[in-house]
Amino acid sequence: MTLPEICQAIQDSAIGTNIRESTWTFPVIETIHVLGLGISVGILVTLDLRLIGAGMRHISPSQIMKQLKLWYLTGFAAMMISGVFLFWSEAAHAYRSPTFRIKILFLILAGINAAYYEVKYVPISAAWDESGVIPKGAKMVGWVSLICWLGVIGFGRWTAYGMK
Amino acid sequence: MLLAFFRWADHLWVAEYIRDSTWIFALIEVFHLFGLTLLLGSLTVVALRMFGAGLKRQTLAGVASDFLPWTLLGMVVSIASGFLLFASEALKCYASGPFFVKMGLLFAALVFTFTFQRRLTKADQPSGAAKYAAVLSMTLWFGVGLAGRAIAFF
Repeated sequence: MTLPEICQAIQDSAIGTNIRESTWTFPVIETIHVLGLGISVGILVTLDLRLIGAGMRHISPSQIMKQLKLWYLTGFAAMMISGVFLFWSEAAHAYRSPTFRIKILFLILAGINAAYYEVKYVPISAAWDESGVIPKGAKMVGWVSLICWLGVIGFGRWTAYGMK
Repeated sequence: MLLAFFRWADHLWVAEYIRDSTWIFALIEVFHLFGLTLLLGSLTVVALRMFGAGLKRQTLAGVASDFLPWTLLGMVVSIASGFLLFASEALKCYASGPFFVKMGLLFAALVFTFTFQRRLTKADQPSGAAKYAAVLSMTLWFGVGLAGRAIAFF
């Protein structure tokens, strides 16, 4: 089966149809997805802002990350799960949507950016905590992250319009 | 009286401008999302601290004051974009039950956050009342979000 055919099959499945044609299920899942932004991207954004040097000088970035990571990862898990169910209900539409594809691209970029930070900067974070100077590369990770998540939110909202 | 205010908003030049455009409303909505993401995110970090979770190694007062600028920025962006969205469909909002619920919750959330919560977060460690305040605060603010979504669905 081709990818578009797979997406059509997913959309036409019992679960997909159920969500799409429901009175409450889709609105509830979508609300979780939108408000979940507050406990996922919202928390992560404060870490990014610290990385780019915008305030919160009393706490080092590595401290923010270490102490909040489990919380925002839980938030992201909720985003992923709700996102999967939303996709399930309109997989074929989403596949055909250029804005959805761009959203996913930004999402993938955000993931790669996070992995890069994890591999390159987390191991040496004790060192730059000491010096108090944030490496330029780590600052870049902060900026890239902010841009990616703004992209995900923006193109995500645009996609929702396209689904009507 | 109330209707007069909604009519006034509905007739603002910026409201007409947004209504006449195909994409401006959506763009303002995106900024509304940016604002609420930052607002809810920073509030969540402080609420976690009031439970002794998250940024445990910092004092509650430290966390609250460090994250306040972001809460305020998120609030300003949300309220500014929110007013524009409202004005562009003020009469529709007038007829919307969820809209009034949202505004009521928003008012309660603002008052609570800038009075009781403000006082409670001046302490180094969360007091007994802090946990209840955190739960109430999160309920009110996420309630605003929920009611906001309900406007679209009802």
